[in-house]
Amino acid sequence: MKKVTDHITHWELLQIEKPARYLGGEVNQAQPKQNPELKICLVFPDLYELGMSNLAIKIFYETLNADPRLQAERAFSPWVDFEKLLRHKNLPLFSLETGTPLNQFDVIFVTLPYEMTFTNVLNLLDLGNIPLTWQERAEGPLVIAGGPSASNPLPVSLFMDAVVIGDGEEVIHEICEFLIEARKSGATREETRKKLTAIESVWVPQFPGKVRRRVYKGFADSAPPLKPVIPNVQAIHNRAALEIFRGCIKGCRFCNAGYYYRPKRERSVDNLVKYSQELLNNTGEESLGLLSLSTSDYCNLDELISRLDRNKLYAEQSISIPSMRMNENTLKLLDTAPHIRKGGLTFAPEAGTQKLRDIINKNITEEDIISVVKATNNSAYRTLKLYFMMGLPFETAEDIEGIADLVLRIEDISRTLKPRKQISISLSGFVPKPFTPFQWSPQASIEEFREKRIFVRQKLQNSKAKVSWREEYLCMLEAVLSRGDERVSKLILEAFKAGCKFDGWNEHFTRSGWEKAFEICQLDPQEYLQQKPIADPLPWDFVDFQVPRAYLEKEYRAAAEIAGVTDL
Amino acid sequence: MNETHEIKARVFYSKTKQACYIAHLDTIDIICKALRRLQLPYQVTQGHHVRPKISFGSPLPLGHASRCEQFVLCLESMVDDQWLKEGLSQQLPDGMDIISVELPCKEEKKGANGDLVDYTFGFTSPETAEKAGEFLSNPETTFSLVSKGRMKEYRLGQALQAINKSSDGNLQLINARFIQGKPEVPSVSKIVTALAEFLGEQKDNLVQIERVSLTKL
Repeated sequence: MKKVTDHITHWELLQIEKPARYLGGEVNQAQPKQNPELKICLVFPDLYELGMSNLAIKIFYETLNADPRLQAERAFSPWVDFEKLLRHKNLPLFSLETGTPLNQFDVIFVTLPYEMTFTNVLNLLDLGNIPLTWQERAEGPLVIAGGPSASNPLPVSLFMDAVVIGDGEEVIHEICEFLIEARKSGATREETRKKLTAIESVWVPQFPGKVRRRVYKGFADSAPPLKPVIPNVQAIHNRAALEIFRGCIKGCRFCNAGYYYRPKRERSVDNLVKYSQELLNNTGEESLGLLSLSTSDYCNLDELISRLDRNKLYAEQSISIPSMRMNENTLKLLDTAPHIRKGGLTFAPEAGTQKLRDIINKNITEEDIISVVKATNNSAYRTLKLYFMMGLPFETAEDIEGIADLVLRIEDISRTLKPRKQISISLSGFVPKPFTPFQWSPQASIEEFREKRIFVRQKLQNSKAKVSWREEYLCMLEAVLSRGDERVSKLILEAFKAGCKFDGWNEHFTRSGWEKAFEICQLDPQEYLQQKPIADPLPWDFVDFQVPRAYLEKEYRAAAEIAGVTDL
Repeated sequence: MNETHEIKARVFYSKTKQACYIAHLDTIDIICKALRRLQLPYQVTQGHHVRPKISFGSPLPLGHASRCEQFVLCLESMVDDQWLKEGLSQQLPDGMDIISVELPCKEEKKGANGDLVDYTFGFTSPETAEKAGEFLSNPETTFSLVSKGRMKEYRLGQALQAINKSSDGNLQLINARFIQGKPEVPSVSKIVTALAEFLGEQKDNLVQIERVSLTKL
């Protein structure tokens, strides 16, 4: 059978930015199997460079292909130039491994890492000649989504045959096992969907019911992906990814990931050292990324780092820790670990005052922040990036002023340090997320966000700190997409029809397309942004997140109490 | 001053099939990772950002296949050249292969007077091959291309040093020798772009663009 790429000429490929994104053939790519029992396409709804850095894709690709009955391939969102070519030539989107059109797979697993990829999912299905809604799909592959942005599955309920809530490692194999049996028994599509509801953590829009978030209890003893595909186009995170623990113990009240990945499960130092050797042997990556939600909270980080240092495979090997907390562990790391890549430091104080940090349960003090900044004296660190949120629950004008004050204090200190630090700050609007204590909180209006951002910028006008911010409309949209109900599915569909895609990319975001979609669907964004009464049912209450609603409520009240608010 | 004993290996490799669409910097990244996977005893640079001591030849234009790519690697100790050739080949993506290893390698000319580059162009149509041959053979051929944001006029002039035709199965081949890297002489990359423009729709009959050899002058 001819591959789709056989229909694309050399000269057409040369018109495309980075054509190697679409051609596969990378080292460690899975070899096609003879007559696999189930053909799977793992789809990531963004560019190759981002998808190839995604840990979920690496995990599923490796474990699924280890099963001799399964063949898992990959597909990513094509950039606009390649999409144009495919549409112009009437060619379907295809997998990288065998050039097979998406609609010829048995099942498509879609990873949803962030809400702004929802329109890309529709674009991928459309390009793959797969009807967009499950009602229209009488044949062809089942489309099953998972990932943090599917924790509230309602906004994608129109498009998915099923949605997995929680850790996917076990459930993806259970689904495949079930689909092999369903194919053998000749089950209809409806029967297949119905029976999928029997698998824990699988929610089927056609047969909606209660669903429980899956927790991969065997994580600590499991092996991470050890032989990932080496991208032919440099990935956004050009490093070997080693997930050292999953979950987070800190309980920041705004953080969906902190609740989605609960409880904390750590891999042992012995195993991690062993895995790192194998991973680096198989990838040849220069940098080993120690991944987790907050790597400085790993229990034996000192020991892990020093053993990794002692067991270096090659001279240029370095360690990268992309997610560090401003605390004592971090200070020790800065002092002791010689092979940590020292380009820039990125931290997220999130709020400018201690009171607001206490409200959001971000357990760092101003002393912690200052100590870490001072600790960079005489180190190779040259840049310091700080993330702040605006519009947090119970925020006051003083808190916004506090952002600028904190930055100015840090800047003062950094002037005394060598080398002098370049400080940059990133401002983003708070987005209330389901399954967090702030799921009931309102979101500030676009105008409020803008005023706050302008205020911070003005206060910093004499500062050398670089200020960047997230477009306020995107923050609003993310809130609608994450706290949405079934009607938001229609909204996404209309936005896609209006030409929206790559919504997370500034150069492609089409505000007018979304405004048109809101109008067609007669949806008022405000409905999704306002305060939700605690007593009222929430659209996503059917998901048992394994974090009791009563606990989230208690946490919300605790936050309010710090702010001196009793009436919620 | 201590003198470090350097063993240099020159590694020749090919880029064909889909690998010819891998950009030069990505190719370097892929090769460096392959060297690490092979656990080759290579030397590293002494700067802040430690890297393998390796130097690559002239970048291959995107989309051009090649049978003469090379890099020179400084080794800490001697290794078996056959082991290096076979081991490294296994570590490369589809379309990239190690052709030969020269170990230890001789110093090469710096190329101050430019490079002599042999190319093979394969055509599915004799008419297109004929038309391309006329374009390439005429030193008076001129073309305009955007360079650094500005339209610039080029003349083929002495760029083409020799040309002959042959065939391989259904393909009509043009074997051309170019000189490049000299002032006012357009690079092969530019000439191929201009040739494609000249051929118009017939460019789809040009299905093979392969750098066969490169000699520094």
